[in-house]
Amino acid sequence: MSADTSSREGSTTELKAPLPATTYTARSGRAATRHRATLASYGFLGPNLILLGLFLFLPLGWALLISFQESSGFGATGWVGLENYQRLVGDPTFWQSTVNTAVFTLITVPLSLALGLGLAVLMNSVLPGRKLFRTLIYLPMVISGVATALMGVLLFDESTGIVNKLLRGGGLAGLPWQSEGTAAFISIILVTLWIRVGFNMVIYLAGLQGISPELYEAAKLEGATSWQQFRYLTVPLVGPSTFFLLIMDVIYSFQVFDTIFVMTAGGPGRSTSVLVTYAYENGFVTRDQSYAAAIGIVIFLITLIFTAIQWRGNRSRDTAG
Amino acid sequence: MTISRRQILGGAGLLAAAAALNGCAGFSGGGNNNGGDGDNTLSFTTWGSPAEEEGFRRGIDAFKAANSGVEVELNLVPYEQIFTNIDAQLQAGTAPDLFRVDYGTIGAYSSQDQLLDLSTYFDTAAGEEFLPSMWQAIQFEGKPFGVPHQTDTSAIVYRTDLFEQAGITSVPDSLDSAWTWDEFRAVAEQLRGSLPDELYPFVYNWQLGGSPRWLSWLFQADGRLFNEDLTASAIESDAGMKALAFTQGFFTDNLVPPSSSVKSSTYADDAFSAGTTAMAFVGNFVLPSLDADITDFKWGATYMPRDERGASDLGGNALVATKNARNPELAAEFLKFMTQPEQMSDFCARAMELPTLKSLVDTELDYQTRPDIAGIFVEQATTIEPSDVEQLTSPAMATINPTLRDQLEAAFTQGQPVEETLAKIAAAVDEAAG
Repeated sequence: MSADTSSREGSTTELKAPLPATTYTARSGRAATRHRATLASYGFLGPNLILLGLFLFLPLGWALLISFQESSGFGATGWVGLENYQRLVGDPTFWQSTVNTAVFTLITVPLSLALGLGLAVLMNSVLPGRKLFRTLIYLPMVISGVATALMGVLLFDESTGIVNKLLRGGGLAGLPWQSEGTAAFISIILVTLWIRVGFNMVIYLAGLQGISPELYEAAKLEGATSWQQFRYLTVPLVGPSTFFLLIMDVIYSFQVFDTIFVMTAGGPGRSTSVLVTYAYENGFVTRDQSYAAAIGIVIFLITLIFTAIQWRGNRSRDTAG
Repeated sequence: MTISRRQILGGAGLLAAAAALNGCAGFSGGGNNNGGDGDNTLSFTTWGSPAEEEGFRRGIDAFKAANSGVEVELNLVPYEQIFTNIDAQLQAGTAPDLFRVDYGTIGAYSSQDQLLDLSTYFDTAAGEEFLPSMWQAIQFEGKPFGVPHQTDTSAIVYRTDLFEQAGITSVPDSLDSAWTWDEFRAVAEQLRGSLPDELYPFVYNWQLGGSPRWLSWLFQADGRLFNEDLTASAIESDAGMKALAFTQGFFTDNLVPPSSSVKSSTYADDAFSAGTTAMAFVGNFVLPSLDADITDFKWGATYMPRDERGASDLGGNALVATKNARNPELAAEFLKFMTQPEQMSDFCARAMELPTLKSLVDTELDYQTRPDIAGIFVEQATTIEPSDVEQLTSPAMATINPTLRDQLEAAFTQGQPVEETLAKIAAAVDEAAG
């Protein structure tokens, strides 16, 4: 009996005992899991953070420092405060490069979005050989920017380029792709579109494939024309893709360099000079790296402000998608 | 003066140049800290045409044979990339022991205390072995900071078929009978009359870093860029006006391809080998590639035009050692070796370039490409005067060049008036030299 009781008691104790222990273990387990999850997330983030810190934030901070200094071409020589920025304000080439960059962005962004969406709709339909076309259109994005720009030179060279040879072969006059500002600007825009449309198309394709076909069926039943389906279904429903591409394209346009560097070097005159080519010229040709750093910081700020504005204006759309 | 070209054959240079800009890919190799055998190893960064590369390799092999246990690491990079790389390497303390630099750029390094002062390794007698103008070209404040390895200059090459078509039957065959500006202009106009619209009478080699070659016109008109003591500008003169108006006329009168201005990305000799011009001003170093590339027409060469006097550009390159070279004695030894008569004549004959040693000037080098026209360039080089060299190699030139390029571009392609252009160039010269 006593044994029984004691055994019962013991069992009671045994039964009771695990309860708080279980609770405790469960609590500590959750904490440990959380802890492990935090550790794991840092583990995943770590390499990226280190790379970003080393190759993005450190150079960015450094560039900011250099922009407040004076440069001899082989390192900074002394603090000059805001002098480099004051010089920017009174530098007509800087302003022309800024205007050129803005015009370039205003033309290339809407065009590459529109062409990308158009091609995506086309490639999403039952076009024969569409896999081949998708690859061909995406190809310029995969090749090095300099290589595509060199192809641009082969196409648009004023005296030996393919485009002018074709024009002359057709009995027309060749266009002044290098000697006249507007034509040079157009050649840059054409090559940029050629490079970028493929990327936009792929993002839009992914967006299009997420749209339920039933919506189109319903629209057809309601008597919507193809244009109405495109305008009132496709365009709003790929909104999140458009938002993403808008930011990417604006940043890309603001940072354009290789195409222009290879094709026109900013010429003729200053007609295709943009902020990044001007910064390069100052940093590596004139060897005034502090002034170049100041231009770099300006590009960074403009891009940052634009992205912030876009982000605020489209926050709801981003989450809705 | 910046000798551009050489290594870019086939656009490879642009590719690599921008590869360097896209990332750090270009900054590898040739550094002081890339292993090797420490004190007995020299790293040497250069660019070079295939002929120059072979010349360098032969020189290095001979140097190694003469100095057992010594290693020379040759790092060949495209011309467009080299100074961006070298600048970054100098800042990072990973610069090579030796590199090659043109006479227009050497001042940017020597004046910033980046190069090894060779005074202790080259005495006055050693300096006197070189042509005075060339020895002067590598000095800064009276001290030598490199060795003049070779020089080159420009002259005119022309297509015989297009000349015949235009009825031009004779071209100058001596320096004394070189075309005057008026005669040259008449020849160009005669060609313009006979050529179809898409072909042009000539193209001048001031593209891609070649803008200082415009100064040859200024010197021919007996003008100066700097004043006598190199402290201020002297370009706002009658000679300056004349030279700029004359060269601006090339564009307004359709005598050169409109796309061949100073900012063009196509070299003059490439336009010529593509058959788009009847004449081209080219440096002698492009002769091997012209000879290889041109198969469908015959071409000859003649002298630069002259006005008040003859003049041409001071091309060519020096070899320099960096200030922090691991083994300065060995580096200086290498520089000495590469400028021995035997090495220099072999290199120059191979690469179609001109020697800088007095002892080789009157020697007939065994030129391996078009020896028939090599003499024209050798003679043309005698029109470069010490006063030209002094201006072209001023350390201020490195800062002036970008403005010179921008202003010439504005004058040639945007119709900027002559006076305004000269005033802007003068302002840049005053600021850089003052």
